[in-house]
Formats: sequence, C-alpha cells, structure tokens
Amino acid sequence: MKLPDAIERILLDEETIAAQVCELAAQISADYADADDLVLVGVLKGAFIFMADLARHLTVPHRVDFIALSSYNRNTVSTGAVRLIMDTRASITGRHVLVIEDIVDTGYTLEYLLRTFHARQPASLRACALLSKPERHQIEVSVDYLGFEIPDVWVVGYGLDYADRFRTLPYIAALKREVYE
Amino acid sequence: MGLRDDVDKILIPEQELQARVAELGQAINTTYTDADRPLLVCVLKGAFMFLADLTRHLEIRHEVDFMEISSYGAGTVSSGVVRILLDLEQNIERRHVLIVEDIIDSGRTLDYITRNLETRRPASLRVCTLLSKPARREIDVPLDFVGFEIPDEFVMGYGLDFAEEYRNLPFIGVLKEEVYQAATNHTSPRAPSASAGGRRSRG
Repeated sequence: MKLPDAIERILLDEETIAAQVCELAAQISADYADADDLVLVGVLKGAFIFMADLARHLTVPHRVDFIALSSYNRNTVSTGAVRLIMDTRASITGRHVLVIEDIVDTGYTLEYLLRTFHARQPASLRACALLSKPERHQIEVSVDYLGFEIPDVWVVGYGLDYADRFRTLPYIAALKREVYE
Repeated sequence: MGLRDDVDKILIPEQELQARVAELGQAINTTYTDADRPLLVCVLKGAFMFLADLTRHLEIRHEVDFMEISSYGAGTVSSGVVRILLDLEQNIERRHVLIVEDIIDSGRTLDYITRNLETRRPASLRVCTLLSKPARREIDVPLDFVGFEIPDEFVMGYGLDFAEEYRNLPFIGVLKEEVYQAATNHTSPRAPSASAGGRRSRG
C-alpha cells in the first residue's frame, strides 16, 4: 500500500480499528441491554465513519442523531464554548444519550457539550470516543468508552482530517510534522 | 436480535451491498481526477453509512461535507422545497460536487437540492444514490451513479429508517407489514410515518 506523501506512519491499521470498534459495540450493547430509548449523537464531521461502523455492531435498538459544531474564537478556548451549528433533530430529554466523538484532545469541547446536554435532563449521558490524547488534556472529562489512547501527534484518517484532507483514509495515520507546522 | 424479527425479507444482503458499493467507488474513481478534488455532499441522516463505506473505496483526492434537511410539511411536497437545517461548510463555487443519497423516491427533494446547489455555480454536479425506486418517480432527475433499482417496498437498514429505527442493520430489508401498519393509520406502503420525518416524505 502506497501512503500519501504527507503521511509519516500508520498508527492504527484498518484491522486494529475494526476489532476495537467491535469490542466497544459489544460493551455498549451489554451496558444498554435494558435501556429503552438509546440515542447516539455523532459529532460532525469527524465522527461519521466511527458512527457508521459502531452502530452496525450494536445489538440494542437505538436512534442516531448528528450535531455540528463550530468554534467561536481563541478567547473562548478555556471555557470550551462552541457554537452549535446544528442541534440534535430530536429532543434528548428523558433519553439515554451516548455522545460519539472521533477524538478527545484538550477535552474542553466534549466537556462543554456534556454540560450542555446535561441541562436537558437526559435519562443518562455518556461519551464514547475513538481516540484520546492524554498529553493534551486540559480538563478532566470522563470518556466512558474509549477506543485508543494515542500520543500527541497530528492524526488523520477514519474521519479525522487535516484541512479537510485525508479524512476518509481507512486507517489512522500520523501526519508529517513539516506538513502542519 | 429484536430488530431483525421485524424484517419480512432481506432485499439486498450485506455481501452484495458491499460489492456494489465497491463498484460505485471504482466508477467514481474513473469519473474524477485528483485535480478535480470532488466534494461529496452527504444528505443526512440516511446516507451516512453509505458515505462511510463508499469513501473507503475512493482513490482519488476528495473531500466530504454534509447537509441535513427537513420537510416543511404536506403543503410543500410537490415543490420539493425543504428546509436546510445544516448547510454545507464549504463554498462550492467552481467545485466538482457529488451528491450522495441513500434513496431516490419521488425525486422531488433531490430535484430541489440540485436546483439549490446549481445556483451556487459548481464546476459540475452529479448524483450518486445507493437505491432508486423508479416506480415512485414523479419528476425526472438525472442519476449518475445508482447502486440498486428496487421495487416500491418499505425498505430499511444501512442508514434507512422506519420511525428512526433499523438504520444500523447491515443489509437492506423489507419491513413486515404488521410493523408499519401498527405504527400508522394508513394502509399503503407509501404512507408516511409521523415520526420518520425525513425519509418517507423525502424524494
């Protein structure tokens, strides 16, 4: 397989990702076996591939919904405040909500999102992320289902992009430093 | 698995579906070049699973963007005009745009989306749909890539829902009549379900 020039190395190959997604789906299916009204809320754009693969392996009935976010500017970074460009289609009040993220970096965005959703009084609220960069965390945020911890490098593929490029690579790869620095 | 008990029959099994998605990917690879850098526009929610699998087979440089739409109500059905809940992040002027849809039914919504995007002056505009129901067509819309032509049955799975469920089934199935009859007062398989919102009223 020929890697794009901008790619330094593959961190997680297709088989490794697929096996872990399967594993996460099994845990989630077990944990929500008795839960009525589970809704997966995928955060666009990054989570769409993870969501498509995770949902297929769930054995519990569920709905899917999507939200789209945009950051305000640098001044709001520390509060994590983001603009909801598109909110969930259906109300989450009284439902079991599982937020699906591609990656947890500083944690601010996810923490803000969970606070926002919590105010809507869901029956339960948890987070599932494919990737987490512990070295980058600035705030404690609980990720209930985590695929992989990765080092602090710029990763692309499986939903993650660099300036909208490399998003649909079937593996997760580290970008060469000279590309993003 | 409970959801599968509601399936009357499997119309397109997983393997056949995946093989066809790969073929569509190859067709797209030969239609565009890296320099074209087509923007794949996924119409949510139905098409997200198809998009995820389709893009795995793309070898040409491309980007993805999303639109989510909702119908205004019965009065606007014939015009196909829908409310855009989430518009494209990207400006598509002079871009090659490929709309990715799960299913084309009456064609009216697609016709409207196509007209809407045309006003933004893309370099080209094509349509890729996984499924098409020719028997239901009310307006002629050109489809460039079609996965399967299917009969006018109540299908779900692989992104398509009934009342928001069944989207995650890995195949395309036909829902048991008693399931959708129980959920609606109507008797025709065309009957929109109140909560399906998007898809039944979509084109």
